Amino acid sequence: MTTICAVPRERTPVTPGDTSPQASLLEPAEAARQGAAGRVGAAAPLRVDALTFHRSGRLVIDDVDCTVASGTIGAVVGPNGAGKSTLLHLVAGILTADAGSVRLGADRIEDMTRRNRARRVALAAQQVDGEVDLTAAEVVLLARIPHLPRLGSPGRHDHEVVGAALRRVGAQQFADRRFAELSGGERQRVLLARALAQEPGLLLLDEPTNHLDIRAQLETLSVLRSLAGEGLTILAALHDLALAAGYADTVIVLSAGRVVAAGPPATALTPDLIAEVYGVHADVLAAPDGRPVFGFAPLTARPGA
Amino acid sequence: MFAKPRFAAALALAALAVGGCAAAGTSTPSQGGATGTLSDAGAAVSSTDGTQSAAASSAGTTADATATAYPLTIDNCGTTVTFTAAPQRVVAIKSTSIEMMLALGLADRIIGVAFPDGPYAPQWAPGGDLPLISDKVPGEEATLALKPDLVYAGWESNVSADGAGDRASLAAAGVATFVSPAACQEAKYQPHPLTWDDLFSEIVQMGRIFAVPQAAAALVNRQRAELAAIKPDGRGLTALWYSSGSKTPYVGAGIGNPQLVMDAVGLKNIAADLPMTWSSLSWEAVIAADPDVIVLVDSSWGSTQKKIAQLEGNPATAALTAVRHHRYLVVPFPASEAGVRSVEAVQTLSAQLVKLNLP
Amino acid sequence: MTTRLTDRPSGSGAADALRRRPRATVFGIGSVLLVALVVSVIVAVTVGPAPISLRAVWQSIAAHLGWGAGRPPLTVDAIVWNLRLPRALTSALVGAALAVCGVVMQAVTRNPLAEPYLLGLSSGASVGAVVVIVLGAAIALPLAAFGGSLAALILTLLLAGAFGGATALSPSRIILAGIAVSAAFSAVTSIVIFWSTTGDSFREILGWLLGSIAGASWTSVAIVAVAFLVVGVPLALGGNVLDAFAFGDDDARALGVDVRRVRWLLLGASALLTGAAVAVSGAIGFVGLIVPHAVRLVTGHRNRALLPLSALVGAILLTWADTLARTAFDPRELPVGIVTALLGAPVFAALLIRAKRLT
Repeated sequence: MTTICAVPRERTPVTPGDTSPQASLLEPAEAARQGAAGRVGAAAPLRVDALTFHRSGRLVIDDVDCTVASGTIGAVVGPNGAGKSTLLHLVAGILTADAGSVRLGADRIEDMTRRNRARRVALAAQQVDGEVDLTAAEVVLLARIPHLPRLGSPGRHDHEVVGAALRRVGAQQFADRRFAELSGGERQRVLLARALAQEPGLLLLDEPTNHLDIRAQLETLSVLRSLAGEGLTILAALHDLALAAGYADTVIVLSAGRVVAAGPPATALTPDLIAEVYGVHADVLAAPDGRPVFGFAPLTARPGA
Repeated sequence: MFAKPRFAAALALAALAVGGCAAAGTSTPSQGGATGTLSDAGAAVSSTDGTQSAAASSAGTTADATATAYPLTIDNCGTTVTFTAAPQRVVAIKSTSIEMMLALGLADRIIGVAFPDGPYAPQWAPGGDLPLISDKVPGEEATLALKPDLVYAGWESNVSADGAGDRASLAAAGVATFVSPAACQEAKYQPHPLTWDDLFSEIVQMGRIFAVPQAAAALVNRQRAELAAIKPDGRGLTALWYSSGSKTPYVGAGIGNPQLVMDAVGLKNIAADLPMTWSSLSWEAVIAADPDVIVLVDSSWGSTQKKIAQLEGNPATAALTAVRHHRYLVVPFPASEAGVRSVEAVQTLSAQLVKLNLP
Repeated sequence: MTTRLTDRPSGSGAADALRRRPRATVFGIGSVLLVALVVSVIVAVTVGPAPISLRAVWQSIAAHLGWGAGRPPLTVDAIVWNLRLPRALTSALVGAALAVCGVVMQAVTRNPLAEPYLLGLSSGASVGAVVVIVLGAAIALPLAAFGGSLAALILTLLLAGAFGGATALSPSRIILAGIAVSAAFSAVTSIVIFWSTTGDSFREILGWLLGSIAGASWTSVAIVAVAFLVVGVPLALGGNVLDAFAFGDDDARALGVDVRRVRWLLLGASALLTGAAVAVSGAIGFVGLIVPHAVRLVTGHRNRALLPLSALVGAILLTWADTLARTAFDPRELPVGIVTALLGAPVFAALLIRAKRLT
C-alpha cells in the first residue's frame, strides 16, 4: 500500500479573512528562495453570494450562499442531482452563473482573467475521459500551464512542483505509467496531484474519494487536512456524510440546488435534516475520539415525523 | 477518412485516363526502331530507317482493288467483328475516324460524329456540317438512338461501358464496332512501333470493309507518293514533341505516331527510348536533353500561344535553347494522332523546319 | 512512514525522470533531425534524371547567392536553381506544414485519425484547381486552390455551428461537418472532371488530386515559406496550449485557456497553413496523418515536443518522397502523393497493429 506523504507541519490556526501568502508545495526554505515566483494565488476565503444558474431552462442552482474560510475544509453534500458538481464548476469559473457572485478574498472570480483564475483556483474533477495517452507525470505537468508564459516551456521549478505533488498524494511510483492504464483510484490520486500542482489558493474537489478504498479515502482526506493547515481553502463535494462530518470544518447541505443547511458538521448534519434531504433515518453517535458516526436506516412512516 | 472521397475521385480519374487515352501506352520491353537517347544533346546521330523505306520497300500493303467478299470477319483489337455488308450508317468518334471516312469519300454514310479534335483537312472537308452527337464521348443510349450499324472509334475507350457502349453489348444490339488498329491498347495488338505500313494497311482495311477498294488504293498510293517526296532532314536535330501539360509535360514517346512522324521528318525524338506511344516526362529530363526544336501540338484547349507562354514563363524551361531562339514547329491535334493525316503532319513539319533556317 | 518534503530525492524521482527525458531527448533529437533535413535537401538538389556533379550544383547555387566566380552552363543552372532547389525547398516546407497541421488537428479534435484536410480543405482546393485546369488557366492554380479551400473552410465552420451556442465547435461536430463538406466538394470535382475534361487535362488533374510538387517554382517556395513563418512557427511553439485540451474543453477552461478563442485560432491557423500547402502542391495525403503518430512513438504525447519534431520529420519525409518520385522511374515522374500513399498505408497498418498489441 502506498504511503501518503504528509507535511510535518503543525496545523496553524487560521482565522477567516486571513490573507496569508499561499503556501507553496515546496518546503519553506525552497519556496522562500524562489521569491515572488513561488507565491501565486494567495489563499483567501471563499464567499458565494446568491449564486443562480439555469441549464436548458431548468433551475439548477438556486440562490446559493456559502462561505468557506481560508485554511478550512468546506464539504458540499447532498443527494444525487442536488447540484454539487455544478456548484463547483460555477465556483471554478468553468460555467458562468446567471446571477450572484463568487469571491475569493476581495476579488470576484468573474472579474479575473482566465489565466489568473487558473492560477488561483484548481478543480479536481470527478470524471475524466480516461483515453488520454499521457503518462501520469505528464498529466500533472499540465497543471503548470497557467504558470508558464504563452509559448513557454516547463522549467526546473515546474518539474519539482510536479514531483512534490505526486509524492504528496502517494502517486510517485506510477508517475511514468500511462494514465489510461491506471485504476480508478490511481487516477483520482493523479488528478488530485494535478490540482495541487496548480498551486492554487482555492482547491475544489469533485468527489475525490469515489474510487478509493477506506484507507485511501482517509489518507486523501488527511492530505486535505494538512493542506488546509498550510492555509489552502478547500471546497470538496462528498457523498460520504461520515467523511464530511469527520474532516470538514463547514458542511454545506445542498438539495435541489438550494442550500438547506450550512455550518459545522454537528449543526448541519442533524438527523432531522438528513431525513428531510435524503429521505433516510439517521442515528448520529459519537466515537470515542468524538468523531460523529452515522447509522442509516430506511425511513418508516412515523406519526408527526 | 477524409482521404477517401478525394482518393476515389483520383482513382476513378486514373481508370479513365489509363483507359481513355490511346496514347497512354504500355511499357513492354521490346524497342523496335526507336532512335536516339536522352543524353548528349549536341551529338549528331544519324537516323535509322523506318521512314523512307515505307515507300521504297512497300512491304506487303499493295493497293489491291479487288471487291470485298462478305461476310468479312476481322480480329480488331482482340474483338472479332463480322461484316455482312458494307456499313451504311456509321457513327464516327474522334477525328482520326471521321477523317478516314471523309478521305475515302464516305461522308454520306456518316450519320453522326462525336468528339472531334479540330477542323478537318481542307482536301476532304465535307460541304456542310456533319451531324454532331456530342462534343465528348456520347452515351450508349444516345448512340443507339441513331440506329447505327457501325460505331467507328478512334480510341479504344470510346467503345466502353462509360462511352458509346461496351463492344459486346453493342454487338448484341446489332451494332458492329471498329477501333482504329493503331489505337489498340493490348500489347498483342498495339503496333510496336507504329509503321507507315500499319497506317496504310488500315486504309486498305477500311476500303475492304466499306467496299470502296479503289478509293482506298488511290489514297494509299497518293500518300506513299507524298511521303516519298519528302527527304528527311540529315542534320540530326533533336526534338521534343510537346503535347500538353505544364507541371509535367506529356510528350510523344518512342512507338507511336509522334515517333513515326519525327523519323520521317528527320528529327531525333528525345523521348525515343520510352516504349510508349505518348508519355509523361520530367522537365529536368527535357532540359538536360536540350532539344534543338520543339514540336507543339495545337488544339483548341491547349493552343500554341498558351504553350509558348508557359515555356517562356517558367524560368527553368526559359533556359532551353529552343525556347530562347523561338524554334517551334506546330502541328494541329487531328494530325498528331495516327491516321490519314500523318503524312500531312510530316509535310507541314518538314516545311516549317526548313523555314526555321537553323544553322 | 512519512517522507518529509524536506528530503531532496536523489536522482531517480518521478519529476527528475520527467525533466530529464524531454530536456535531453527533445533537444538531441531535434538537432539530429535538423542535420538530417539539411542533408536531405542537399541530396534532393543533387540527384535527378540529369547527371549533375556536386561541384556544378554548388557553383550554381553560389553564383545565385553572389559568391564564387564560376557559373555552370545555362541548362545545368536552370535545372539546379529553377527546378531542383525550389522543388526541394517546397517539399520540405509543405512536409513540415502538413505535419504540424496534422498534430494540431489531432489535438483539437482529440481524434487520432484527424488530418489537415479535416475541414474540407483539400476537397475545396480540388474544386478550385480542377475548374482552373479545365478552363485552361493553370496560371491561376494556386489562387484558385486557396480560394476553394477557404470556401470549404467557411462552409464547414458554418455547418459545425460556429456561430451559435456553447457546444458550437465541438470536436465531433467539426469532424462530421468536415466529412459532409468534403463529400459535397468532391462530388463537384467529379462532376467537373467527367463533364469537361479532355484527355490532356485528365493527367494534370490526376497529378493534382494525388498531390504533386512537380511544378514548384520560387513562387511556390515563397508562398509556403511565408505561411510557415507567419502561422506555422507560432503553431509549432504553442504545444502547451494544445496539451491543455487533453481532457476536453471544461478541463482546458479550468487551466485558464480561452477555449473558444483558442480553438478558432488553432483551426484558422491550421486552415491557412494547409491551404497554402495545398495550393502549391495539391492534396498530398498521409503526411499529416502518419507523421504525428510516428513521432509520438518516440517522444510521447506531449505536444510541446511533438510539434517541432513533427515539423522536422514531415519535412524530411516529404523531401525524400519527392526525390524518390522524381528519380525512381527516371525519366518519368510519379506524383509524390503516390509515394506517400505507398509509404503511408503500411506504416499506418503497422501503427494500428502495434497499438492493438499494447492495449
